[in-house]
Amino acid sequence: MGLLQLLSYFAILLFIVVVTAKMVKIARMPLHLRWDLYPIPHEKGRGSYGGSYFEEVDWWTKPMNFSLISEISAMAKEIILVQSVYHNNRSLWIFSFPFHFGMYCLIGFMVMLVAGAIFQATGVVIGSDSPNTLAVIIFHLTKIFGLVGWVLSIIGGIGLFFSRLFRAEMRNASVISDYTNLLLLLAVFISGLAAAFTVDSNYVALRGFVQSLITLKPAGVLPGAVTVQLWLWAALMIYFPYTHMTHLFGKYFTYHKVRWEDAPNIKGSKIEATVNKALGYKINWSAPHIKTGATWAEAATEETAKDE
Amino acid sequence: MSNKKTSLKDFSQKEGQLVNLDASKFLPLPPPYDKIEDLPTIKPLSESAQEKYECDLDGITAFKFPRPETDEEKKEMIEKFLSGLQKLFDREDNWTFMQPLFLTMEYCAKCQTCSAACPVYKESGGIDIYRPTYRSDILRRLYKKYVKGGGKFFSKISGNDIDVTWRMIARLMELSYRCTICRRCAQTCPIGADNGLVTRELRKIFSQEMGIAVEPLHKKGSVLQLQSGSSTGMTPAAYLDNIEFLEEEVEERVGMKFNWPMDKEGADILLIHNAGEFLAWPENPEAFAIILEKAGISYTLSSELVAYDGVNYGVWYDDVQFAKVALKHLAVAKKLGVKKIVLGECGHAHKALTVIADRVMPGELNVPRESSVTLLRDIIKEGRLNLDKSRNDEYHVTLHDPCNMVRLMGIVEPQREILRAVVNNFREMEPHGVHNYCCGGGSGFAITQDLNFPDWRHALSSRIKMRQILDTYQDIIGPEHKKYVCAPCSNCKGAIRDMFVAYNTFERCNMLYGGLVELIVNAMTDFDKEYIEWEWH
Ligand code: SF4
Ligand code: SF4
Repeated sequence: MGLLQLLSYFAILLFIVVVTAKMVKIARMPLHLRWDLYPIPHEKGRGSYGGSYFEEVDWWTKPMNFSLISEISAMAKEIILVQSVYHNNRSLWIFSFPFHFGMYCLIGFMVMLVAGAIFQATGVVIGSDSPNTLAVIIFHLTKIFGLVGWVLSIIGGIGLFFSRLFRAEMRNASVISDYTNLLLLLAVFISGLAAAFTVDSNYVALRGFVQSLITLKPAGVLPGAVTVQLWLWAALMIYFPYTHMTHLFGKYFTYHKVRWEDAPNIKGSKIEATVNKALGYKINWSAPHIKTGATWAEAATEETAKDE
Repeated sequence: MSNKKTSLKDFSQKEGQLVNLDASKFLPLPPPYDKIEDLPTIKPLSESAQEKYECDLDGITAFKFPRPETDEEKKEMIEKFLSGLQKLFDREDNWTFMQPLFLTMEYCAKCQTCSAACPVYKESGGIDIYRPTYRSDILRRLYKKYVKGGGKFFSKISGNDIDVTWRMIARLMELSYRCTICRRCAQTCPIGADNGLVTRELRKIFSQEMGIAVEPLHKKGSVLQLQSGSSTGMTPAAYLDNIEFLEEEVEERVGMKFNWPMDKEGADILLIHNAGEFLAWPENPEAFAIILEKAGISYTLSSELVAYDGVNYGVWYDDVQFAKVALKHLAVAKKLGVKKIVLGECGHAHKALTVIADRVMPGELNVPRESSVTLLRDIIKEGRLNLDKSRNDEYHVTLHDPCNMVRLMGIVEPQREILRAVVNNFREMEPHGVHNYCCGGGSGFAITQDLNFPDWRHALSSRIKMRQILDTYQDIIGPEHKKYVCAPCSNCKGAIRDMFVAYNTFERCNMLYGGLVELIVNAMTDFDKEYIEWEWH
């Protein structure tokens, strides 16, 4: 097995392990105080104008009307269309949208590559003239996702790079890695497009390499342009989990566990038990008005206890 | 040096004042405030104040923090700050907000979408240090260097490095008091990062670890409230006297004689006002008393320490102080055996007790809490009051939405339903509802009246509210029309009152502010006299 193949295994494994570890770490952080931010789309009948169940008298006695459809539709608009940037930062959206949409296409492209490789491994030919209809569809989808993905993400990426460079506000807020992250992504995309346009227009070599990864067999000899692309992919996958680019996954928490998290503490609920436990944590803050070393419950009732 | 860019190196090392505020660069206001010479100015601090207090950020001081003199003091300041920083990321010390803070630290994509949403930054004409991400970037670098660790090499090569100096800490302290925590920035952030939260977490390092807080919030705020009963300094005895006086005043104003229910065990509702109302705007709790009496609602006020003042300033700077006050409110309600707590017209009290306190209370103190606007809306909807909205016809009313009630709680429609029921001439300002702008007094600004801080507030943090109000009334801006800015929140009223005085809006535009219940009572046909006393403002 060649070095490139071993590196690819390593990159994929590292990516999965580091990203998962980070998500698990976040998920296991203590339940925080409520910090909801409206509008919350799942508020049925009210989400559109930002209303909440607090608009009802005796809200705790009434059913919580949760609209999954509105929540999913808001998520879809945010994920696919990058809606908040569209509404609040239109001139950046011109690049942010194609950049992100292009990358979603590239994820689709990868899925198609893997599907194609699996088919190939079972002996089905992937191509426009394959007797297997599904294989024909996969062949074409791979090409479409690939082309649209490379082109849009390159246009978006270049636009974002120059926006960062030339818009004073963004430049002031940027550090070197904000530029190098974009450059690395662009290098991957441009090398991908270049390989597709020169030596691997039907992604035969790339699919073959994916197949060798899946089947744990040594890969054949690859054209230079494809090799360059694969090295860059590996580098990206190793680096990516350590950057803010994992917001792809982190957004689940910022939206569902902070902004849209409006579950009230009802008597006898799980939240109540969790809060009771947190109130037993020791408090180490050392300002004079804090009873350092006491539990949160003790520190918070210090004055009340004095009155009694 | 331009204010449009302030390097972190300067922030941590440069001696003397970092940024000079130049009012000619602030965004111009609409008529009749379009001439800069007619606008309130930011007065420089006196020489003695400059010498005494740390004001090297922008020539303003809210903390009145005495400059450290000896090397020992400076060293101690750095050590304490860094130990507080560690605690912000500790799961026990900061279980309350660690997760959202961590997410903000990790995921900001530096897209600056939030900048356009920030009233302070925008109205200042883009002063770099007021950019929502400016303070977050500093905290993020500190977090990477001192908490996350291991990344020193990376942070060096990626330009993420930062030097902690006492100057940086002192400036960061003041900078944590240039943001109203309105969270408008967070609302527009595609990632869900929250620069408003960062402001609050920074204030926590100063308060919870270093024992440094803005005086009106802490010493004369939550500490005073816990000791003497109210942040106004009003003791239970003084409060009871006050209520007696208000009862008489109600009789004089509308001819209704009745005792306000006090410490009545077993009432349905414990009503908690912001105690500032009793002193600054007694017509507001009086209007509440009139409405609830007429509607036959079973409720009580409390004269117990803390429970007659709904404020909870901890919500702006300190989790422990926050929890102490919230638990006291709940304990009194529990003792009275009420079915629920209802909050008067005070935005932060709404959010503090209804939303944030939800997860600091032990199960046995779980008394339900809700807003008064929903109760009032239902009272009106059920036809329990005799109303004639034409009685408010002489006023052109607009509504200021308190951030805490709308963006942070989702109470948007009830106050509008009420206004539609009691006012004919109602117009919305833009933007409104959950996309509103803060009054400029959020996060403690309205009660910070020391030195030149109020000047800064009028010129910058409240400026957008002034702009919105002027825009709303442009067609009737002259003094021949009476304009009533309805602000159902004591804190917002405080900020708007001061701003209106600074801009002299009564004389120039015949414009006043007031609460929501006053308009309701003014529309009640039970009384001959007008409830709103326009000339006596
Ligand atoms: S806080 Fe959000 S909006 Fe602001 S720069 Fe970061 S990612 Fe962009
Ligand atoms: S919370 Fe409000 S004042 Fe603070 S940075 Fe965000 S938008 Fe600006």
